[in-house]
Amino acid sequence: MVSAKTSVVSVLALSLIALIASLFAGTGFAASLVIWVAINILLAASFRFVQLIGELNFALAGFVGLGAYISGICTAKLGLPFAIALMGAAVAATLLSLIVGFITLRTKGPYFMLISFAFTEVLRMIYTQIEYIGGNSGMIGIFPPALFTDYYPTLVVAIVLVLVLVLYKLEQSDLGKVLVAIRNNDALVQTVGINVHLTKVLCLAISSFVAGIGGALLAHANNVISPGDFSFLLAVYTLAYIKVGGESHIAGPILGAAVLTLLAQVAMGFGPYEHIFYGSAIVIAVLLMPDGLVGIIRKSLGLAPRAQVAARH
Amino acid sequence: MTNLKKIYAALALAALATTSSVQAQETIKLGISAPMSGAAAVWGLGMEWAAKQAADKINLEGGLTVAGKKYKYEIVAYDNKYNAAEGTKVAQNLINREKIKYIVGGIGTAPIQALQSLSERSGTLIFISAWGKSVKGPQFPLTFTQSNTPFEILDPLYRYVLAQNPKAKTVAILNANDSSGKEVETVAQKAWAALGIKVLSSNWYERGTTQFQPIAAKLTEQKPDIIDLGVAPPADAGIMLKELGVLGWNGVKVLPVGTSATQLAQIGGAAANGTYMGYAGDYSSALSTPVQQILNQGMLAQYKEPLNPLQVSSYDSVYALKAAMEASNSLDPKKIAAVLPTLIFETSYGKTVFGGKATYDSPQQIQVPVMITQVQDGKMVELIRIVPEELKTRLAAGK
Amino acid sequence: MDIFGQLFLNSLQISAAYILFSLGLTLIFGVMKVVNFAHGEFFGLVLLLIAIIVPWLNSPALPLALTYAAAGAVSILATMACGWFLYHFAFKKFQRDMVGSFVLSVGLSLLMQGLFLEFFGGVPVKLPDLIEGNLHILGGAITTQRLVLTLIALCVAVVMCWLIAATKLGKALRAVSEDHEAAMLQGIPYRRIALYGFLIATFLAAIAGALLAPVTVISANVGSDFLIKGFIAIVIGGLGSIPGSIIGSILIAVIESVGGYYFDPSLATLGMFVITMLVLLVRPKGIMGNG
Repeated sequence: MVSAKTSVVSVLALSLIALIASLFAGTGFAASLVIWVAINILLAASFRFVQLIGELNFALAGFVGLGAYISGICTAKLGLPFAIALMGAAVAATLLSLIVGFITLRTKGPYFMLISFAFTEVLRMIYTQIEYIGGNSGMIGIFPPALFTDYYPTLVVAIVLVLVLVLYKLEQSDLGKVLVAIRNNDALVQTVGINVHLTKVLCLAISSFVAGIGGALLAHANNVISPGDFSFLLAVYTLAYIKVGGESHIAGPILGAAVLTLLAQVAMGFGPYEHIFYGSAIVIAVLLMPDGLVGIIRKSLGLAPRAQVAARH
Repeated sequence: MTNLKKIYAALALAALATTSSVQAQETIKLGISAPMSGAAAVWGLGMEWAAKQAADKINLEGGLTVAGKKYKYEIVAYDNKYNAAEGTKVAQNLINREKIKYIVGGIGTAPIQALQSLSERSGTLIFISAWGKSVKGPQFPLTFTQSNTPFEILDPLYRYVLAQNPKAKTVAILNANDSSGKEVETVAQKAWAALGIKVLSSNWYERGTTQFQPIAAKLTEQKPDIIDLGVAPPADAGIMLKELGVLGWNGVKVLPVGTSATQLAQIGGAAANGTYMGYAGDYSSALSTPVQQILNQGMLAQYKEPLNPLQVSSYDSVYALKAAMEASNSLDPKKIAAVLPTLIFETSYGKTVFGGKATYDSPQQIQVPVMITQVQDGKMVELIRIVPEELKTRLAAGK
Repeated sequence: MDIFGQLFLNSLQISAAYILFSLGLTLIFGVMKVVNFAHGEFFGLVLLLIAIIVPWLNSPALPLALTYAAAGAVSILATMACGWFLYHFAFKKFQRDMVGSFVLSVGLSLLMQGLFLEFFGGVPVKLPDLIEGNLHILGGAITTQRLVLTLIALCVAVVMCWLIAATKLGKALRAVSEDHEAAMLQGIPYRRIALYGFLIATFLAAIAGALLAPVTVISANVGSDFLIKGFIAIVIGGLGSIPGSIIGSILIAVIESVGGYYFDPSLATLGMFVITMLVLLVRPKGIMGNG
């Protein structure tokens, strides 16, 4: 068993290394790669957080998109400082998720999945109808703050590290334990006097807060966003990162996002083959590596396998 | 092991020898950002093919010479999936990773905007086929448009259609709810109104729709004289026309910016006959240049689809770039961009120029003929090629 | 044209298409608790194979009906084989694991679409009409072909309902879908029933493809176009319920038909999603759901 102190130190060390490495990314292609990996890690962590209550949050793309658009409006249309754009995105996504979550979390499993999917599509179609944010053509001119133009990757990595750490801490805390208990048997949790419904809504809200920030970071990294960026496929790819990485530990989504994003860049030049590549990656991961990369690492380190995160209905 | 070492040494020497001789002709990479999967795949794939034809032809004829050095072209194309996020990745790959300084083809407004935000900052010259005024103008000095846009097509097309059908007084417009649709629709409404035709309604449908009977019913009920199908993909347009036929509507059909009459005819059947199109040249007809006829045959052999203006535009950009590089005697995108509007250069259409200052405040629009075609008996027939006034004037003046 | 008559005919023919597609989708869920995203690709595979075989076989010597029949038979068999193969090597391991099977099916769907695009190309194809002509009934117009198709679809739907309600296999399928452990206690061979369920579902997708071949524009991603609507239909109707999928399909068809006429087709699609959300909020397990 790895002692708690050693894991804390190693996590801090790894984070420091990541931060320092990102300082050298520069502004070229390597920088973009670092940013994309970081954002995908963040989205994967956000998605996984909702898996703690046993749900697949396919509304992820909706909240990411909202965060992206709100931050885009703040920066490109209203000229507000980056920090406000970031906060605006997070707050907007959280508020919307509170409303949506309160209504939809009464359903479970595939029904919740479908409502979330419908919600994402509705949002996407609404974006295409609003001229102020560019409609179908998208919004342009979303640039990172002048102070950070050369060091945007570092900013992104720093924010992602902080948020992922926060999510991890929450998962280890009492709240996390309640969430997992809800996943296993929510009726039982209800009997202890905990308001299951509101707790689920809180879980979704936390996940959406993070997703909103992810969307804002994405918008400022790409400088241009369009409704088509925030479709159902975003959540599907995020799920792929988690499956490939392994669900049982928070390192899973990190590994999975990093590996698949980098591999996808390799597949970039393949054009139509990209679908084949991603599809095969998912199929192979699901069939041959049920515990993901994390599971493989555990086995090679001789550690005992951990229980699955997602519930079986 | 010593034998192996000898082999390695020999290989290394050989490699050195060959590189030093190949040094005589450097390669310039030209990028393309276009959809190469999904419904729009044939545009991107065709554009890549046409660009490669141009590059191969130029390389075969000895390449190009700039400032005393010889160069040849290589085409690098990436799939932008028609959205901004992928467009950004493609832009990053082309400009930052491959260090490409010239893009000879771009399709899709959202990915093009993503490309532009990087290309203008990094000094990359781009040729695009995106519509809308927002992607052109003095604020984008390194952006040039390589094919006709609704601004160039709609007015001549509608005039011609009305001349052939003088009794038509009303029109109903239909478009797919995507960026191209939105851009065409604004221009279309203005163009019809300017010609005195009443727009009864402007309708939208989502891409991925498979059942067109409800829309057909709605349009038929309004009894328009003309139905304008905007930039609907030929498959959707074909089904629409079929459903309209079932319901008994038989007015004037216009598909201003559709690119494939073959698909339209195959899918629409008899109902597609009579449709006027403005962006689907017949490159096998006598109105085409020999170069275009050869390209058309090549396209048919490769993709079983005839050539369309969107695809041939990259062939034209490659030639435009060559002309400008040689005229400015420089590889610097800024110098090339400065010289382009002053040149008369060869393209697949013959001699062409860049112009359009009146419309866009900056001469960055290629001036090529508007080809008006009509589906007759299941085949596309080119009715007339309208040469832009600006091109006529420039050619007459000889500069 | 009488509007209500036309709207009725439109709704009818659209629901026929969706009913055929959704029957199989809901069956797989009911029996195996598997959300099969790749269902659309079986449908697509049949259409693509028919799109390749019919032009190849088609000649004045052979009556079109025979060409279609031969193409249909071959395609259905090929797709069934594909389904059997996928069941054995993939889905069998994920029965009752909704997340795992869903992710697997999404991966398969992406993979198959990529392969279709590669081998079929990007150009959509429309096959020749099997039956020519239009009919004018109830004040509206409809092609003869679509009318025949609608009637066949209704027959298939009725047969499926009967199968589920009255036959031994149907009862086993229902038992397994309600509580598979109790079903096993009763001596129902779960593994075999699951296999049959999957095969019947694949067969339904294949039949849907074969019937819709003359009236659909066929392209590499035709499966996913139908899939979304199909999913909405079965979830609204209640996952696992055959009558539910029929009701759900009809509901969507009516929204598409009426909404597309009175409002905008784009808004109709938007409305469909909104209504989906509303229905699920009021009846979280779908209209006929007991899942």
